[in-house]
Amino acid sequence: MNRFARDTKSITVKELKQLLRDPLSLALTIIFPILLIQIFIVIVTAFSAPSYNIAVVVADLDSSPMSKSFVDRLTSSRLIRVRQFFQTEEQALHAVESGDATGAVIIPKGFGIALLSSQPAFVILQTDNSKTTSSALVQSAVSSSTQGLLEQVSVRLGATPVQLILRPISGRPATGDMFLPGMLGMITILGAFDDIVNAVTRERERGTFPRLVLTPTSILSIYSGKISATVVLNAIRTTLMLAIFELTGLVMRGSVLLVYLTTTLIAAFTMSLGLLVSTRIRSSSTLTILEIAITFPLFQLAGAIQAPELLASGGRAIAQMLPWTYGNDALRRVIYLGVGFDAVAVDLFVLLLSSLILLPIATLLSKRTM
Amino acid sequence: MSIRTFLNDVLAVMANEFRVLRRNRTAIIISLVILPIFFTASLGGASGRAGERFSPAAHLAIAYVDNDLTIASGRLFETLSSSGDFNNLVQGYSEENVIDTLGTGKIYAAIIVPKGFEDNLVKNEQASLVVYVDDSINGLGNQVVSSLQSSLQNFSPNAAARPLLSRGALQVEIIQKGARFSSFNIGLTIILGLVIVFATFYEIAGGMSRESEEGTYARLLVSPISLGAVMFGKTLYDLALNLIRTLMVFGLAFYAYGARPGTDFATVLTISLLIALLTMGFGFLISSIGIGVRAVIIIEFFLVLFLFAFSGFVIDRELLRGISSTISYMLPWAYGIEILKRTILIGQPLLDLTVQLEFIVVSVALFYGVAYVLLKLSRERLVT
Repeated sequence: MNRFARDTKSITVKELKQLLRDPLSLALTIIFPILLIQIFIVIVTAFSAPSYNIAVVVADLDSSPMSKSFVDRLTSSRLIRVRQFFQTEEQALHAVESGDATGAVIIPKGFGIALLSSQPAFVILQTDNSKTTSSALVQSAVSSSTQGLLEQVSVRLGATPVQLILRPISGRPATGDMFLPGMLGMITILGAFDDIVNAVTRERERGTFPRLVLTPTSILSIYSGKISATVVLNAIRTTLMLAIFELTGLVMRGSVLLVYLTTTLIAAFTMSLGLLVSTRIRSSSTLTILEIAITFPLFQLAGAIQAPELLASGGRAIAQMLPWTYGNDALRRVIYLGVGFDAVAVDLFVLLLSSLILLPIATLLSKRTM
Repeated sequence: MSIRTFLNDVLAVMANEFRVLRRNRTAIIISLVILPIFFTASLGGASGRAGERFSPAAHLAIAYVDNDLTIASGRLFETLSSSGDFNNLVQGYSEENVIDTLGTGKIYAAIIVPKGFEDNLVKNEQASLVVYVDDSINGLGNQVVSSLQSSLQNFSPNAAARPLLSRGALQVEIIQKGARFSSFNIGLTIILGLVIVFATFYEIAGGMSRESEEGTYARLLVSPISLGAVMFGKTLYDLALNLIRTLMVFGLAFYAYGARPGTDFATVLTISLLIALLTMGFGFLISSIGIGVRAVIIIEFFLVLFLFAFSGFVIDRELLRGISSTISYMLPWAYGIEILKRTILIGQPLLDLTVQLEFIVVSVALFYGVAYVLLKLSRERLVT
């Protein structure tokens, strides 16, 4: 056991020394998570901006004081920008069909009279639904403008719509930072994948792996040493990410140590899987491409962006089989809800167990394919 | 050089590329099987089949806490349960219990009907519903609120028993026009673009770098084959691969997930190949710098992320502001993605999108032209 620990430590030190001697890899290990998170901050900022400039055209066929008040509400909306007024419905609809505007609001004749006489009134909204978020924002702007108009009329007529009050249990405002814990998980996965390329395939390509295997060090020690090096690098990456979170104003409610433990287990599992895959795929470039190819669907399936609970049944089944899903779940609950070890123990156990299953298999396959 | 010789050279380069690919089983599996099938299947798994109504929160346990216990609150429960958005409404929790249970995974959200809900409606005062959500479930809050809002449009508190609003329900109905698309169809345009860019860039830039590293590029350049024929041959080879990939993605989407694009397959194929050409041009440009395979992979990763952020893959370009918006309008891929969306989803004819097509064609010509010049100029460096 002492020898196993000593060998593991030697391999860990060797790995870290090798990384320090390779400036490109070292820079990538540090810069890569920063760049990645910056890109996601761009995405998050776009989703949570206080105002947008989504082009909308209006055809006010009623020209009544009510319709004018409605148009005023539309023009003062922070979500949309009323770009043009048309005389006919066809012109307004054409603006959307040709892609000149994302939405067209048509106020039909009789709109004002219907409202004032408590008759059902309607407006027509045409949106370019190929622009998913923009069309939803246009719908939201039109909906809140009608709501505002109704409230204005209600003061006269005495009727009010039902108000919805949303209260997240963490007490956080519903901002775009909901992606950040998932991003920490994905950066951990990508970082560990990159480590495996550095640790095994490139060593194979340089021809140093057979030499390492021919030393009295056991394969298990070699692999656990490489995993330990990844754990050290992962701690650095996690620290960087947490610093970025702090700068972006994300409030961490749970224990930082628990966050480190979770990312460590995610990294260890990813590394174990990487070791297993590297026994079959020898080229570092092929392995990297495969890892990247796997990673992009994981953004969706492993709960990095959208919670697995909101996926369709097929996706939910796949998500439940992926140990990374449990890691991302643990990160979200620790960071957002501030839960303790007990609440995420199952998630962490799944990650640990998966690593413990994969590592011996990787060792065995590695011996066979040596 | 005669055109015939040039074409023979092009075919020779193309045949050689296919020979190399045939000998590399892993490359075939990744490029033609894993990328198109895995990406499309993960989209189908996440967003359900095209054409099927998919309400993400419908199956989740959501508590309905009725503190009002009136006809109106009962009607609201009925409206929500029959909406298709709340198939697992759970009753029997008190407000305190439900808040304690949230976050444990037993209950994901709670809709609280406060005391006085019906009274407020009767008196024409503001009635409220409070929604507690487990916000460790990304996107759940917005999903529940949006489903509630659409259910409330059909909510009539007075339908069952007595009129609550003496003057009649005051409402402005928003009649929504414009085709609606399933999440799968929207995702399909993203997946198709992503698969093409991802695979094509690596095949061209990675292939050229690998040839440089292995020394075969030097041999190719000292042969009588012209640089133009090399580029053209590789382009034709990769166009053929992209044809297969587009068929795979669309075949799977069409037959397994019921996707029905708004345009014909020839149009989809044309756009796919245009995006592929654009990416190939960029790939040649990058390879002319003389970088290694590893650097190509790193650039590829960031290219895809860059496209995710700025080209309309995830965020509509209208939502970007400042420098992000400028970058987005300069990225030729963004126009390709826009064409994909407008043809596949809306069914707009390809030839109507002239501005976008012109931008792509000019960018392809620019990428190829600059890459050709740079590859010519750096011939000695790349050979040695």
